[in-house]
Amino acid sequence: MAGAEQKGESPEDVSRRRFFTLMSLGVGWGGVVATLGGIGAGAARYMFPSVLYEPPTVFKIGLPSGYGMGVDTKLKKERQVWVVRNERGIYVLVAICRHLGCTPNWFSDQKLFRCPCHGSIYDPHGNVVGGPAPRTLWRSAISLDPVDGQIVVDFNLRQDPDPVGTPEGLMVEEASREVEPYFLKV
Amino acid sequence: MPQKSVNPGSMEIKIDKKSDDLLARIKKTALKKIGPEDTVLVWPNLVYLELIAMMFALAILLFLCLYSPAPLEELASADTTPNPTKAPWYFLGLQELLVFFDPWLAGVVLPSLIMVGLILIPYIDPNPKGKGYYTFSERKFSVIGFSFGLALWYILIVVGVWFRGLDWSWYWPWDDPHMHQPAGAVKLVDLQVILQSTLGLSETPVATLGRYVVSMANLITWGIFVGYYAIGFAIPFLIFRNFYNKLGFVRYNLTMFFFLSMLGVPMKIFLRLLADIKYVLVTPWFNI
Amino acid sequence: MWELFQRIRSVVNKTQAFKSIFRHGFPNNDGNRALVMFSNIILHLHPVRVRRGALKIKFTWCLGGLTFFFFILLAITGVFLMFYYVPDTNRAYGNIKDLGTVIFFGDLFRSLHRWSAHSMVLFVWLHMTRVFFTGSYKPPREFNWVVGVILLSTTLVLSWTGYLLPWDQLALWAVTVGSKMAEASPLIGKAGPFGAELGMNANNDITFALLGGTVVGQSALLRFYVLHCLALPLVTALFIAIHFWRIRKDGFSGPL
Repeated sequence: MAGAEQKGESPEDVSRRRFFTLMSLGVGWGGVVATLGGIGAGAARYMFPSVLYEPPTVFKIGLPSGYGMGVDTKLKKERQVWVVRNERGIYVLVAICRHLGCTPNWFSDQKLFRCPCHGSIYDPHGNVVGGPAPRTLWRSAISLDPVDGQIVVDFNLRQDPDPVGTPEGLMVEEASREVEPYFLKV
Repeated sequence: MPQKSVNPGSMEIKIDKKSDDLLARIKKTALKKIGPEDTVLVWPNLVYLELIAMMFALAILLFLCLYSPAPLEELASADTTPNPTKAPWYFLGLQELLVFFDPWLAGVVLPSLIMVGLILIPYIDPNPKGKGYYTFSERKFSVIGFSFGLALWYILIVVGVWFRGLDWSWYWPWDDPHMHQPAGAVKLVDLQVILQSTLGLSETPVATLGRYVVSMANLITWGIFVGYYAIGFAIPFLIFRNFYNKLGFVRYNLTMFFFLSMLGVPMKIFLRLLADIKYVLVTPWFNI
Repeated sequence: MWELFQRIRSVVNKTQAFKSIFRHGFPNNDGNRALVMFSNIILHLHPVRVRRGALKIKFTWCLGGLTFFFFILLAITGVFLMFYYVPDTNRAYGNIKDLGTVIFFGDLFRSLHRWSAHSMVLFVWLHMTRVFFTGSYKPPREFNWVVGVILLSTTLVLSWTGYLLPWDQLALWAVTVGSKMAEASPLIGKAGPFGAELGMNANNDITFALLGGTVVGQSALLRFYVLHCLALPLVTALFIAIHFWRIRKDGFSGPL
């Protein structure tokens, strides 16, 4: 009988039983929480794909001699870049607005890039001269292919310096941007 | 049992404090008790009403479908952004905010604050009056506060729908929607740049925290930003102490935080429009 | 004619099949009117009797009920649209074009779906405004207001995910802008405050999980399709059920 057993219990028996009860409760519930937590964490990880089927991000855009002074917009449709040549060389601007990722348009009469989504305005260097964009346009890493001499663009390796707020807008010193691998002296 | 001593002369019943409360409560509920004459059967009274409303709504929807079928633009292409690009009308308030605030603020933090603020409304409004009927006089502050937020939201949507055109420039209804507006001659400047030049502060950094170079002007903008909330929290506490007492510490602070943040949104918009200020506060990690 | 109709009805009402479905007679007397509310699963959303105040149009404006009606319409038209839609970037646009041009009633169902969606968003807002101005969120109905706010946000996310499916310019750019916002989330977005400091990049931030990749492409279309047609409607339906359940339990706040 339960009553008889309880009579013969010493305080150590009670505390031992309490210890085992608590321990098994802890192990049991801990196991439940750990299992469910593990499944939850795994499900969250599941949403991050391990394999991507996306267009290539390293591509060739032809010989440097094919690009004249100023902004060249012919690759915007196909590759989402503008190729710009100045007195010193060539750089490649990524045609993605730094505000929310729309594609700005080049206005050759105003010498400005203007974004149709929220009205950000950039100069040909990529500096922000108006609108809500918080940073300057990206410049892609570029190099010359040693075999055929074409410009190779690495679309995902991008120059993104901290701009300085000035009365003219968000500016980055041009000399600091014209460095390898984001600039070709050709 | 409470002690009752009945005085036969006046028929007055003496009861103790506790049961007095109880009696008052019973009286109150008895008054509110719903008799069968105050209720009606749901079928047919309410069910038919709903059927009429649904058929009416369906008729209007069908008319709208004939009047304006669902549009389909050109095939998606990542290289050309339509000009202007407008979100559906119910997100245009958000899109309009994106002109004045950085994406992390306008696109993530402000919408989250709106949702959390809405969720908190029943918990920070301790006013027992105005339950189940329209009233303004019995709950002025909450009605004004809510209407203000609502008006702000709808004004931003109206601006986005009817007053924004090519390049997201401002277009009056009589402007030619096919002509680009000239790029604004005004440049947007950070508040700290303005302070620096007008007050003639030196550019030498006061402190450097990793990427963060703190100038004197930057410290002043921090002062202005924190001061806005500090003063906003303090004024009702000092002047309308009754308001604070009614809410209590936690409710008061939550209410004031959301109320001041809501007021801050149009204030920043006016700063941008009137003073061409891009950011009030600049740090390497976030700008406000 | 009426006589004949009455006679047929009285015969039909006595059949085993009718009695197995409807546990009451035709609701033309008070007893059956109460029973129909009691024993019909859909009508049981309502109580048997309501206070007269609940019938006042100028109190509720039918806003909540119509929001639910739009949700039902969206579910029905949505199922019809799914028969002709493949969430494939090469086919989706053509499918929608077919719906608008060659499929019988396709344009109607698509337009109805769109207008119901617009109406639902509008009516959720109006319903929330009404509930605020009548103070109907006050105790004991606080939690139902919270459920309402959750329903407001699922309605907006449903609208947004549905926006991508036609795969036209409007779709792509609305979602591009939205995903860039997600990218700017503090801490969990690669372009947000302290995101880069916490090691967020294009391959592990919140946008990557949302789009299933780094660009708005095939995997993003599939994800939005699943969210729009399955996951979010289920969540919304669940919270609508809770919403209605709480209204029945807490009672109607309106005037007598």
